[in-house]
Amino acid sequence: MVMKCKTLHKKIIFFLEEELPADEMEQMKYHLSVCNDCNAFAEEMAKMLAVLQTEKAPSVNPFFYTRLKAKIENLSNSKIRYNKNPFFVKILQPALFSVLLIAGIYSGIKIGQPISDRTSYYVDSEQEIIPYLNEMKNETIELFLME
Amino acid sequence: MNESEIIQKLKQGNEKAFRELVEKYQGMVVNTCFGMVHNTEDSEDIAQEVFIEVYRSIENFRADSKLSTWLYRIAVNRSLNFIRDNKRKKWAQSIEDVLKGKKVQLNKFESGNSQNPDSKLEDKQRAEMLHQAIDSLSENQRIAFTLNKYEDLSYKEISEVMELTVSSVESLIHRAKINLQKKLFKCYKKKCI
Repeated sequence: MVMKCKTLHKKIIFFLEEELPADEMEQMKYHLSVCNDCNAFAEEMAKMLAVLQTEKAPSVNPFFYTRLKAKIENLSNSKIRYNKNPFFVKILQPALFSVLLIAGIYSGIKIGQPISDRTSYYVDSEQEIIPYLNEMKNETIELFLME
Repeated sequence: MNESEIIQKLKQGNEKAFRELVEKYQGMVVNTCFGMVHNTEDSEDIAQEVFIEVYRSIENFRADSKLSTWLYRIAVNRSLNFIRDNKRKKWAQSIEDVLKGKKVQLNKFESGNSQNPDSKLEDKQRAEMLHQAIDSLSENQRIAFTLNKYEDLSYKEISEVMELTVSSVESLIHRAKINLQKKLFKCYKKKCI
């Protein structure tokens, strides 16, 4: 029985890895010998899977252990440094944060306070301008038209 | 030094035993990580994290399984964590790019030039295409496939690493191959290379 192209496409990876039963392997081989398109696809798939073989076991950096040792030492040093100063961690650090928090709250209150009369120059100057703007009291529209 | 001696000396904090362990297994660990992340520098970094974890938690190793099985497990978990973090970073980066109005780079394989005479470039494209296909597999299929193809582990050994039955591993690898085949066929039809 002649195998269809679609069937071959579904089994090509198993054919290339020789995981198919003997009769199916023969049918695939025959199909590939007569179908150029499928043969081209099979070749491409084989090249693609060959990439896995070339990527296997990459050469390891000769300084791998040296780098690893340095990393471990750095980690243990930083751990020691952190553990060495319990005074800084337990007392100084919370104290510093508290001071910063209080300073923040104090400055927030100061900024939010209303401006006192003594410093409100802008309000006074605004009141002075208003009479000049409202000229209708001094010069009515009738007087203006009479002229 | 045999495996049990190495473990015993490691538990005593023997530096020579640790060096021997690293030298014996570094190739295996780097190769496994490479199979998962497909980048040499990243795989070396992850491998270092694996050995640091071994150094720190050797006390907890009860020798129920082989040392190599334990190392494979740590390597796979560390690689998966790296992939997840990387995905998150890429996602954040893509949002940043959109916000900044950068043009999104089109998939290079979709616009691949099939007439390129340079075979090295073709090989590189093939490798990247295969990596993309492997990356699209589910986590378990990916682990099983990588251990089988990059480390040549038997189904039984993979089942020990993944703590699954042999038939589950068999099924995972079978489905992984079918999925890879589908992806690669689609790409072949689109003339990615």
